[in-house]
Amino acid sequence: MRTLRPLYAAIALLCAAVPARADNLLPADRPMPDVVDHYVDDLLKQDNILAAPQADAATLIRRLTLDLVGRVPTAAEADAYVASTDPDKRTKLVDRLMASPGFVRHQATQFDAMLNSVLGNDGRVRSIREYLQTALADGKPWDKIFRELMIPNEDDPKQKGASEYLRGRVTDLDRLTTDVSAAFFGVNISCAQCHDHPLVADWKQDHFYGMKSFFARSFDANGVLAERDAGLIKFKPTKGPERTAKLMFLTGATVDTDTLRELTKEEQKREKELTDKKGDKKGAKKTPAPPKFSARAKLVEVSLKPGETEFFAKSIANRMWHRFFGYGLVNPLDQMHSENPPSHPDLLAWLARDTAAHGYDLKRLVRGIVMSRAYSRSSVYPSASVPASKYFAVARLKPLTPMQLSTALKLVVVDPASFEKQKPEELEKKFEGIESGARGWANSFAQPTDDFQIGVGEALLFSNSGRVYGELLSDNGGTLLGRVKALKDPKEAVALMIKTVYTRPATESELTALSEYVRKRNDRPSEAYKQVLWALLTSAEFRFAY
Amino acid sequence: MTRNFFCGSADHAISRRGFLGAAAAVGAATAADMTQLNVLSSPALAGEMKKKQKRVILLWLAGGASQLETWDPKPGASTGGPFRSIPTDVTGLHISELMPEMAKRMKTTCVIRGLNTRNGDHGSAAKLMMRGRKDEASVKYPDLGAVIAREMGRVESKVPDYVTFYTQTEGRGMAPGESGFLGARYSPMELTTNNMPEYIKKLDGINELDHQQRADLRELLSKQFNQGRTSTTLASHNEAYERVRGIMASDKLFDITQEPQKVRDRYGPTQFGEQTLIARRLVEASVPFVRVARAWWDSHGQNFETHQEMVPELDHVMATLIDDLKERGLLDDVMIVTLAEFGRTPQINSSLGRDHFAAAWSMTMTGGGIKAGSYHGKTDDKGNKVVDGEVNPASLFATLYSALGINPHKNYHVGARPIPLVEPGTEAVKDLIG
Repeated sequence: MRTLRPLYAAIALLCAAVPARADNLLPADRPMPDVVDHYVDDLLKQDNILAAPQADAATLIRRLTLDLVGRVPTAAEADAYVASTDPDKRTKLVDRLMASPGFVRHQATQFDAMLNSVLGNDGRVRSIREYLQTALADGKPWDKIFRELMIPNEDDPKQKGASEYLRGRVTDLDRLTTDVSAAFFGVNISCAQCHDHPLVADWKQDHFYGMKSFFARSFDANGVLAERDAGLIKFKPTKGPERTAKLMFLTGATVDTDTLRELTKEEQKREKELTDKKGDKKGAKKTPAPPKFSARAKLVEVSLKPGETEFFAKSIANRMWHRFFGYGLVNPLDQMHSENPPSHPDLLAWLARDTAAHGYDLKRLVRGIVMSRAYSRSSVYPSASVPASKYFAVARLKPLTPMQLSTALKLVVVDPASFEKQKPEELEKKFEGIESGARGWANSFAQPTDDFQIGVGEALLFSNSGRVYGELLSDNGGTLLGRVKALKDPKEAVALMIKTVYTRPATESELTALSEYVRKRNDRPSEAYKQVLWALLTSAEFRFAY
Repeated sequence: MTRNFFCGSADHAISRRGFLGAAAAVGAATAADMTQLNVLSSPALAGEMKKKQKRVILLWLAGGASQLETWDPKPGASTGGPFRSIPTDVTGLHISELMPEMAKRMKTTCVIRGLNTRNGDHGSAAKLMMRGRKDEASVKYPDLGAVIAREMGRVESKVPDYVTFYTQTEGRGMAPGESGFLGARYSPMELTTNNMPEYIKKLDGINELDHQQRADLRELLSKQFNQGRTSTTLASHNEAYERVRGIMASDKLFDITQEPQKVRDRYGPTQFGEQTLIARRLVEASVPFVRVARAWWDSHGQNFETHQEMVPELDHVMATLIDDLKERGLLDDVMIVTLAEFGRTPQINSSLGRDHFAAAWSMTMTGGGIKAGSYHGKTDDKGNKVVDGEVNPASLFATLYSALGINPHKNYHVGARPIPLVEPGTEAVKDLIG
């Protein structure tokens, strides 16, 4: 009976952590943005907290464009959006952005960073961006992506690169166990590796080793991901005799199998022969035959079974929420357990239920979140006492990711006129070109984390690197500075620069201050404009999505 | 029924320095007035506050120096090798004859001979010995340099707060400076190709006035954006730019020709000597942490020739650094640490080499609050295992932090998650704290 106890305990605690029962949630057919606002506003009202006003149109198009397609809008896009009187303009903008190829590219970059930054990249973990891009372009839902990463089929060209996720981690099963649990189920069970979690009653050693058992048979066979037919995990609990781990999922659900045994000597020999040889006479690699019983496939099966999707569905809902709000409904993202309850338990439960019920359609989740009023609040709070992040009362500043920042830098220094009066598909090509040109820059910047700190290295790079001067502050033809140079009136020039870089109109005081600076430098006006552009590119307003 | 696992206090989500930065930014924001250009004429940085603070120079013996040919010789034993041991100015303490200069200065230093760190793999052992612990899944720990930078660095500092010299290529990728969860704010300034940091010098193509004024313009714009907004990341962004001109002004610290020839001659013409002299210049100017890496001690073959060549250099440079700091009255505030990822096997292999060995090896600490002239831990006659006073990485780091006046049991916070500075349940070696 002993081994069963943690299982019951976990289920009991899990239920305790989820006060919301399905029948108490708002109806499933309520539009998602309404549901988001209902629950967020509820907590604000309950705790007597005032929400910031809605952001203005220029701010909203910049935020949406950065969040959905990873770039800043052009001045023309922003102008058109601000000027439009169409009551549906936000819906139309979101639809247009989500239908564009930039959406797939940006989401692929974001998911790649999310899946690979669980521990931070130590060189072993390789990008799965190529796979993600294909998968997202095909509209694959999240459960299918999870399935393909866990049981990759290398013969399917559409799954090219999917096996990298496991291959980079399979030489360290403890890490693989922890990474998968954190990335897909939102729980970090690494504390339970050596002992039952000291502070979180949910997590026992049985959970860690139970999860590890699903991966224990996976191995790297000469560069090919393979899985054995048998193999088991034994562990010594802090108290009591050594135990053999069951194939046990985080909910405590176990998988019955008669393959919970060690490999026979004969099987070991055969595997060694296969993997020892570099290849056959022709040099072709031999991959061990797939197992009759795949433990990894069982993990996918059990974790996606109705009634067991609690972790999977809540984790993706929470991670997507975090992506757009810069803060999770549960924070940190890998600490979803009974002692770290969500700020809005009903909202998270509703989003998870909706996501599971709609086949893990990521686009539906994204659209529902970004169409809410909670998402479109201003990042300026009208009073000095700013409410805690968990209220979502004011938009949180999100530091741009390396790709967002690089792309934005490359985009705003282009002559803004070159984006005007162009066919949509030509514009898209142009954006794609700018994005590829920005990849080299992306390595100069760090991937933001919660409470990210920007280092002096970045400021030194912008201050003194010849590349900034040569690539970003060039005033050759086709550049923003090239166009600015031709303008006679410094005020007009400054207005154009602010409109292009910040995608909003300049304020009176900005116009006065910056044009006065340019006037004082009338001995070298072209240098003066370079310094103005440098100041615009390095100021906080450009560095953040706000 | 919910236990308060994360205390949830907003204060904990804000780092000390980030908090100071944010407070400063708020103060500045109220003064910002876009129509007044006087900010363009005022210097970006306020006068630096001088205060007593501890600093660390880490001499990183990359690849694993042999304890038997340095701090824990076993002359006469079958594992002892050809070198003798010599007495030092500390009664009862003998070190290798390859270190005659340090033998005269052991009264300044503390030796730990009982390190058992259980990791003989260059890569992961280097990380372990730079951080005092193993990375946990989803938590990347900051290394010693980043912690010291965070603890001893100052928000208004004009100098970098973590500098690492690692110009040889062997082992460099295995022991990169790492600020972990403390973030880019505490990332090291890494010097890998020459002794002058990248991007510290103004480009020739831009004149001094433009360089200064565009920074002021930047500040003006950022202050406008700051109004009504608070974020630790925002504060760090502004703080990073505020530090640029100060750090640029510190370029002279890296310029060894600024030192009198006599001083340069003392340290010697070697790269290790020169970088150590720069390290002294940096700590004198209040840089909290400098690492000087010397590679490559990985003597699987010809261990004795390797050490005959490299130990005297270490002996000379280390002794010179101690004298120099002492003469400048800095030895109480600056700690010199010699450390590697592991030591070397007592067994001598068939190539007359010694292999990787983490079970019983040595390191030293000098100055900065450590008990001078002390030694701790004892290995058996052949040097195979620790027989007394075993020290693991966690207690070594607890000892280092305690000697520097940092409470090793304090918590950092990742978001709201508390992360103790050293592994819980670990104590400093109390006898070694001065």
